[in-house]
Amino acid sequence: MIRLDEVSKVYKTSTRPALDRVSVEVDKGEFVFLIGPSGSGKSTFLRLLLREDVPTRGNVFVHDWNVAKLPRRKVPQLRQRIGCVFQDFRLLVNKTVAENIAFALEVIGKPAHTIRKVVPEVLELVGLEGKADRMPHELSGGEQQRVAIARAFVNRPLLLMADEPTGNLDPDTSQDIMLLLERINRTGTTVLMATHDHSIVDSMRRRVVELNLGQVIRDESRGVYGVGR
Amino acid sequence: MRASFVFSEVVTGLRRNVTMTVAMIITTAISLGLLGGGLLIVRLIDKMSEIYYDRVEVAVFLTEDVSTNDVTCTQEPCIDLRRDLESTPGVESVVLETREQAYERFKQIFEAQPELVELARPQALPASFRVKLADPERFPVIEQEFSGQPGVLSVKDQGTFLERLFELLNGIRNATFAIALVQALAAVLLISNTIQISAYTRRTEVGIMRLVGATRWYTQLPFLIEALVAGVIGAIAAVVGLVIAKFAFLDRILAAPIEANIIPRLGLLDVAFVSPILLLVAIGISAVTGYVTLRLYVRL
Repeated sequence: MIRLDEVSKVYKTSTRPALDRVSVEVDKGEFVFLIGPSGSGKSTFLRLLLREDVPTRGNVFVHDWNVAKLPRRKVPQLRQRIGCVFQDFRLLVNKTVAENIAFALEVIGKPAHTIRKVVPEVLELVGLEGKADRMPHELSGGEQQRVAIARAFVNRPLLLMADEPTGNLDPDTSQDIMLLLERINRTGTTVLMATHDHSIVDSMRRRVVELNLGQVIRDESRGVYGVGR
Repeated sequence: MRASFVFSEVVTGLRRNVTMTVAMIITTAISLGLLGGGLLIVRLIDKMSEIYYDRVEVAVFLTEDVSTNDVTCTQEPCIDLRRDLESTPGVESVVLETREQAYERFKQIFEAQPELVELARPQALPASFRVKLADPERFPVIEQEFSGQPGVLSVKDQGTFLERLFELLNGIRNATFAIALVQALAAVLLISNTIQISAYTRRTEVGIMRLVGATRWYTQLPFLIEALVAGVIGAIAAVVGLVIAKFAFLDRILAAPIEANIIPRLGLLDVAFVSPILLLVAIGISAVTGYVTLRLYVRL
């Protein structure tokens, strides 16, 4: 599903590489935590997968795409198969819940009848059946993140990437969000989640890839957040 | 491509930046209006040359003596002059205008100023040969050959006056185009700026669009269409402005010369001829500016 071969990324403004000869392989349907302190290269990792950036050296593969060498006009195809969730939800404040989700389909040219069908389905999946016509500011943080997850998932991506999805949420709500991500993972979608949240990583017991100073320092199949720390 | 989606994005964009949009439309309209004015002057010049080049004549004025004593031109030196003129290559026709005829024409030209006609006497006007040339450029040859000949008072080319008139009109046209160009520059900068602001105010939407894999066209088209809509509205405003200028201003100020057939009338047809040009220029400028701006300044 995902393969990084000896990937390095050096930003022009920095002397130290953001990623330093990173090689990671993730299979289809896996649930992977990407952990590490700020500046360890987690965000760069995610950006390379999305083709927001290209690596300085090495190759990045997602599904069938050689991401680093993907021509610009094919980047949308890649991104249509990757769902993204962020700490700050990134909802459109002037659109309702249903419109926010529909927006993701409208802008990739999905027909109206498809949108009318799949939006209620995905709202049910994330547990927001009754809130289709609410505005984002009327929702709690957890509910807003559910909307964001629904938007990321509505086009049935191969890969769901979550960048600190629980960073703004209290522990109970975070647990609910993790249950939702787990449910999505069970549909066969690969989930890659960058996080700082010890308790979540420890309780989920999933694969953990730890980065530090741009290097992979740990890759355990059923890991916890900090071993021996 | 879902037209309804793009359309609603365009409307939102234009409404959100209403002040910038209005500024953009006004600047575009002024620029296009001036361009249109310049183009109308070009048409005026064309029409005038048609009228005048038909009428351009060389006048060989006869001396006081000939004018008074040989009204029918049957004596020397008048009869010789006529024969020489007629046999000069490039001369189409030679017509004698007597003192009386010159006076009649004078009265006609200055009909509007009776006090001038009052003062004039036929005796003050010389008789002349009205010489029509196949090629008006041949005037110097005629002048050289006939000035100073016995019986000739002077040789005048009406073309010189016309040339000055045309020079003036050309000057006005060039000045109009120059101002139009400066305005167009301002319009281009405003369009570019408006698109940047528009893209900035909608950065969240655009960010999400990029993220979920919307194609370049989908993300950029709303901005391009916004610029195009503003450009087209500007062009329409410019055309309306030209029509108003024609009725309220040109027709009134130039009423007398138009009546006297000195300046040709610019009709609505001329404005109609210029309008599609303005529209195309507006579309071209806003599309190119929009595209370049999105490429250079806005990361979509």
